[in-house]
Amino acid sequence: MPDDLEPPNTLDRRRFLTVLGVTAGGGAMALSGCSTDRVQKLVPYLVQSEDQVPGVATWYASTCTECSTGCGVHVRTREGRAVKLEGNPEHPVNRGKLCSKGQASLQGLYNPGRIKAPMARTADGGFAEITWDNAIERLAAKLNEAGSKVAVISGASRGTFGDLLGEWTAALGGRLVRHESFDHEPVRAANRQVFGLDEFPAHDFGKAKYIISFGADFLESWGSPIEHQRGFARSHGFTDGDVARFVYAAPRRDLTGLNADEWVPIKPGSEAALALAMASVLVRERGDDRAGLAAALGSFTPAMAAQETGLSAATIERLAREFAAARPSLAVAGGIGSQHAASTEVCVAVNVLNFVAGNVGETVLFGADMPMADGHAALAKLAQAMEGGEIAVALVHDANPAYTLPKSSGFAARLAKVGFKVSISSYLDETAALCDLLLPQHHALERWDDSRPRAGVHGLMQPVMEPVFNTLAAGEILLRVSRKAAGPLARFTAPTWDEHLKSRWRDLATELGEGDPVAFWHSAVQRGGVFRDPPAPPQVALALADGRLAYTKPTFEGDGAFTFLTYPHAMLHDGRGTNKPWLLENADPVTKITWHSWVEVSPAAATRLDVRDGEIVELTSPYGKVEAPVYVYPGIRDDAVAIPLGFGHTAYGSFAQGRGVNALDLLGAPRGEFVPYLSTKVAVQKTGRYRKLASVAGVPRQLGRGIAEAMPLEAAKRGLTVQQARAEEGHAHHEINTGRELEAIHGWGEAQTRATQYGDYANEHPQWGMSIDLAKCTGCSACVTACYAENNIPTVGESEVLRGREMTWLRIERYWEDAGHGGGEPGEGGHGPESSEPAAAPSARFVPMLCQHCGNAPCEPVCPVYAAYHTADGLNGQVYNRCVGTRYCANNCPYKVRYFNWYKYNEQAWPEPLHLQLNPDVTVRARGVMEKCTFCIQRIRDTQNHARLEDRPIRDGEFTTACAQACPSDAIVFGNVKDPGSKVARIKQDARGYHVLEEINVRPAVTYLAKVLHPVEA
Amino acid sequence: MASGHVITQTHADVTRDVVGTLSPPSRGYVLLLLGAVSLFLIGILTFLFLIKDGLGHAGYQPPIFWSVYITTFVFWVGIGHAGTLISAILFLFRSPWRTAVYRSTEAMTVFAVMTAGLFPIIHIGRQWIFYWLLPYPNSRFLWPNFKSPLIWDVFAISTYLTVSTTFLCFGLVPDVAAIRDKATGWRRKVYEMAAVGWRGTDNQWRHYSRAYLYLAALATPLVLSVHSVVSWDFAVSIVPGWHGTIFAPYFVAGAIYSGIGMVLTLIIPLRRALRIEHMITDYHFDNLAKLTLLTGSILFYAYGMEYFVAWYSGNIFEQTTFFRRAFGPYWWAGWTMIICNAFVSQLLWFRKVRTNLTSLFVISIFINIGMWFERYVIIVSSLSNDYIPWAWDQLNPTWADWGILAGSFGWFGMWFLLFAKNFPIVAIQEIKEMIPMPRKRGGHH
Amino acid sequence: MAATKPVKAPSKRVPGVLASFTYVDAAADAIRALRAQGRRNLTVYSAAPNHEIEEALQHGVSPVRLFTLIGGLTGCAAGFGMTLWMSHDWPTVVGGKPIGSIPPYVVIAFELTILLGALITVAAVAFFSVALGKRGVPYDPSFSDDKIGIFVPTTADSARQVEQMLRNAGAEEVRYEA
Repeated sequence: MPDDLEPPNTLDRRRFLTVLGVTAGGGAMALSGCSTDRVQKLVPYLVQSEDQVPGVATWYASTCTECSTGCGVHVRTREGRAVKLEGNPEHPVNRGKLCSKGQASLQGLYNPGRIKAPMARTADGGFAEITWDNAIERLAAKLNEAGSKVAVISGASRGTFGDLLGEWTAALGGRLVRHESFDHEPVRAANRQVFGLDEFPAHDFGKAKYIISFGADFLESWGSPIEHQRGFARSHGFTDGDVARFVYAAPRRDLTGLNADEWVPIKPGSEAALALAMASVLVRERGDDRAGLAAALGSFTPAMAAQETGLSAATIERLAREFAAARPSLAVAGGIGSQHAASTEVCVAVNVLNFVAGNVGETVLFGADMPMADGHAALAKLAQAMEGGEIAVALVHDANPAYTLPKSSGFAARLAKVGFKVSISSYLDETAALCDLLLPQHHALERWDDSRPRAGVHGLMQPVMEPVFNTLAAGEILLRVSRKAAGPLARFTAPTWDEHLKSRWRDLATELGEGDPVAFWHSAVQRGGVFRDPPAPPQVALALADGRLAYTKPTFEGDGAFTFLTYPHAMLHDGRGTNKPWLLENADPVTKITWHSWVEVSPAAATRLDVRDGEIVELTSPYGKVEAPVYVYPGIRDDAVAIPLGFGHTAYGSFAQGRGVNALDLLGAPRGEFVPYLSTKVAVQKTGRYRKLASVAGVPRQLGRGIAEAMPLEAAKRGLTVQQARAEEGHAHHEINTGRELEAIHGWGEAQTRATQYGDYANEHPQWGMSIDLAKCTGCSACVTACYAENNIPTVGESEVLRGREMTWLRIERYWEDAGHGGGEPGEGGHGPESSEPAAAPSARFVPMLCQHCGNAPCEPVCPVYAAYHTADGLNGQVYNRCVGTRYCANNCPYKVRYFNWYKYNEQAWPEPLHLQLNPDVTVRARGVMEKCTFCIQRIRDTQNHARLEDRPIRDGEFTTACAQACPSDAIVFGNVKDPGSKVARIKQDARGYHVLEEINVRPAVTYLAKVLHPVEA
Repeated sequence: MASGHVITQTHADVTRDVVGTLSPPSRGYVLLLLGAVSLFLIGILTFLFLIKDGLGHAGYQPPIFWSVYITTFVFWVGIGHAGTLISAILFLFRSPWRTAVYRSTEAMTVFAVMTAGLFPIIHIGRQWIFYWLLPYPNSRFLWPNFKSPLIWDVFAISTYLTVSTTFLCFGLVPDVAAIRDKATGWRRKVYEMAAVGWRGTDNQWRHYSRAYLYLAALATPLVLSVHSVVSWDFAVSIVPGWHGTIFAPYFVAGAIYSGIGMVLTLIIPLRRALRIEHMITDYHFDNLAKLTLLTGSILFYAYGMEYFVAWYSGNIFEQTTFFRRAFGPYWWAGWTMIICNAFVSQLLWFRKVRTNLTSLFVISIFINIGMWFERYVIIVSSLSNDYIPWAWDQLNPTWADWGILAGSFGWFGMWFLLFAKNFPIVAIQEIKEMIPMPRKRGGHH
Repeated sequence: MAATKPVKAPSKRVPGVLASFTYVDAAADAIRALRAQGRRNLTVYSAAPNHEIEEALQHGVSPVRLFTLIGGLTGCAAGFGMTLWMSHDWPTVVGGKPIGSIPPYVVIAFELTILLGALITVAAVAFFSVALGKRGVPYDPSFSDDKIGIFVPTTADSARQVEQMLRNAGAEEVRYEA
């Protein structure tokens, strides 16, 4: 952005048009319309800009920076405001899909907790706003003094900025450490040891016929979750008539674990023993030892592993045989939750297992390196240097070590020793709060930048709108400082960061042998980057020095009765999501708890400790104490307790601050290459205090109501219906009506329906319908976030969630299921979390529940004012303006998917500038009215209008609902049921198809496809 | 003249005694009135909060979208059924004992319905547009949805209010005329207007008596229909525990039961306060108690039948609902209702209990409590567990719920007290009709 | 008996004889006697309707019942008419039910039947007994208490004869009002 535009918090008409000019010319920048206090009056366009048609959305291609995966995004802007993020279909990593974290980066852009302008520490310890020039001068001066005593801590950025930062630091003779809290160092270390390759390979879950994960949460934080989920849906979602068996070996089931067909609750830290034993069985049974590991593996017998893991030798043998039988199979390890001191051994073991099973090159693909950081050791060394006063100036960018490292590591104290500390963060996070100078950088959606998540993928980021606050791109800051500081930095001559980036892309063009760099650039801007096929996987050979394989018995500090587990929160990741209300209110997919921390305790342990849901317990490790309410969770070992990461912020904005506890407080100072999250034992103390869990779960049992149906694989293969499958299991459906009665009932129903064919209803209309494949749904809840974003759904906050008033138009219900169908008797259950204590080790079933747009909707006739009515194209309409709020419709909705505005949520949910995220196409509902899923009617009408203008029928797949668009497993399909060619119409013919609560004859427009179970062959 | 009940007064005594009830208020009366008014003000205040911030203040906890307000609405509508029943149905049955009590019960009816009528307005999300439920030409070009039970309610309740008010005023006219002729000063002017020129001429009596008969004939099906319609608010839905064909008769019986309960609660102290013990006697209470016993037993049967049908239907949704009603989180409410209504009423088999005012009064209190809880159980506990277990939850009523509840009692009490002091609480003219006039030839006609 | 001011100050008073009785059979005798004389334009006051007097007067049945019927039928028709017309005015399908479904509309029709029936009945009474009521006929407050009153419209000359007749029948007080 040109300098003369600063400071950009005044927008007179002239500047308004200047920006337009830039917009039209640059083809990328968007008309300002963001922060409310700027535009005081509406200004008519004198010159209609090409890409700014009021009321028409403009889409920009960019790259997501919420985690190090580097997914491609499409940003939807309206009148110069980013309003929604969706996956970039062309992007090889995420193929058009986007997880909740990625979608929520919109709330990072408009976050009230952002630093609004450069600030400097004042005498009284506070911060005072300063101008950019002043800020740059200050930093330049300090750098000139500091000479080479400069340290830079950055995130895992692999791209032009990363390179610039590297060169820049090098020029100063300073030290650069790239710190990524979840950098999966053990995986890379193991690959170095076993294959001599320092990388995090890609994993083809779609190709695998048998998957075993040793605590790697590949659907949540491990590697490239969206990509993994896509593959997992293919192999495990009954896509080509088969389901790969998926076994999860870990002390705790996370979301990935809940999607497993079998959970083997091994002792914490014993993964390596299991993996090696499987490998040895496999080698022995296959009787070929090309790898020459038989000897090394010899000592790892099932018996020995049984000893270590607590499984039976038979089970281990079975797992090994199953793993060997399926070709190709896939074993993964190195999840954060199970990252302990000897994790590298685990990954080595798993590498060996994959290698002997012949998976390397099949499902484990090297060559396409994933982003990496420098590991914890480097950071620890740097911290030492700070301690020793070897650092005069420290810059922290895109990292928050003061929060993401255990307090026991003393990082904060060491950083404090540095004379001059500078933060280049957009938010006032824990680390920034320690700094002397705050240089707020642009949000990813406000700046030019790029990212190379892996070989062959060059993702480009572009500003989709005028900056919300007075911020700069980090690269711009470096360059301006260089200009001021001169000296060794004089060689950075690029006039602006944008120019620098573009020049690098010109180099890239030549590097990739592109003739016309301008065309290359434009296509990159248009498509969100340049995507080349990954290089052919290299020939991978075993580089295991003298074939030694080690297994170290896990040791845990502290003498508490429980092993302490902590793991990345599925929504908050390492805590960077905790300032975003969407991620706080979108319940954790496993526990269904929102807004606060909890302690997971197994039912047996709960009985032993005499604690129940919501009882606050104190966990004590050698390094600290934390207090949190108990959540009794059947998916954790009896000798372990778990607290999710991501809570307990002491800074980072009003949403994050003082919310829950930081699990890291229980950990010791990391000593190795990585943070051993699994390293302590804790004592659990009752406090006698309670707090109601802010859970969105009612009774987590189906009580035999067939809400989330499932059938065994062989039944599905034989194309049985749910009814038939049930019948085969002796749950025959008992029909009380005679044939004649059924005929009469049916005939009467038809007559009623015919009688509705009146007025406009008699004309030709499409009939919108949806199908949801439970075999594919993993419960990841990306659809929920998409729904919040698309439909302006307010987040109601912890206190209202406690009163069951969350507004989730689309919610993911998670039912505990004992072996077999149904489960539960009438009268079973109780209230919310209290009753969420299922029998031992049940399986979970996820079912997305949204308005079923019933043909005979019970909600409609009871509305006295026609606020709820049926549209001619089969939608269950809800007219907010008509609604007087009798709430009868909600009482009469059998699916309970109607939500009422008890308070003025529309005035509370979006504190400035968060309200700028609102989708102009969707009404923001007032207090006192009922609302619910509309099948994204705004998208339907928009498409219909376009079709009408072009005088053509709507093409199937031309558009879809927000949830279907976001679903990484493509479990949700939407379309016109009347069009026999449409995908949804075809899927609705599937034998697995059923309607929830079929028997009450409300004729839902949503068809669910039963989950397909892959039980152990007896 | 009915057995066990002989009026030993002359017409003159009747006029004197009844006019006597209108004497200047005692301190006790004033205190009661102030109490009622302050309760009413609490209600107003609560309502202002609801309007300012939204219904969120009340303890609504989805899936329970209706709770204390609708409970109290049905409670008051129910109360409103005794009056018309006694004054209209018993009039058609020519049962003599109604005469002494029907005026007070009719007044109670009108005020109870006035109270109930407020709730549909209070409980909706956007109270200021409640009138959208009325069929009037509007800018939305939209008429109400007559398929909605809530619209049936609008018509049933407003019709009931109009007709029962008419009925009350109609019956009052001759009595007001009688008071007019005794009153003096400004009060005379007021009663003069209220009496709309009534003089008791042969011609007036001729039309009056006929019309009264027809009003009674119209009010009788009305009183039965109104609570049936209210019951259909629930019965036509698909909520397990609501969706029952038994509901209309079940609710009507309950309504009358609760109504008579409230009648007893009111007139037992009233007759003492107004010194009309010789007009409202054991004979009347005995009959009221018998009616209570009858309706109470019908309820007993209805409760039993609900459970039987739930079990016999083999419908797991119904089964779950009723299992949890008895043993689930709402067991306490469920048993309160069954004990207060089904069991306590059975004590009335004993004549001693029926004629002992203390025991009657205590029982009447139980009835009021029991009937409020009946509605609470039907509404809240049914909603708390319907089809999708994942959505189940429990209600936590708040100050906003209790505030409105208290306000409704204040509002009702205020009107009733004002009425009792300014209008004949016993029907002068009908009592006189029952007293044989003196004859110079003596003996009976 | 002190001449008390009549309730409604009449435009012009009807001259005649006003008698008051304590005994109902006496009053009935008087009525019969007067009617025998062809004096049918009597006004009889009583605090409550009384069989003996009604029999003596031999009135026909009140016409209000006709109005009750008319009111009821009107209400019923209005109920069905309104609901059906309004649902077809803007056809809106709810719950897969026919646009105009009779069963729910019966409720509305029923309520309106009762409503109009009752209101028109009361209107009829007001019409017959107040609007069409006799004006300028004297009245005495004791009639709403325990006395029965009979008023015989008559001219001054024949007043004496009427008074005599009433006294014989057993009237306590008789007076001529001009």
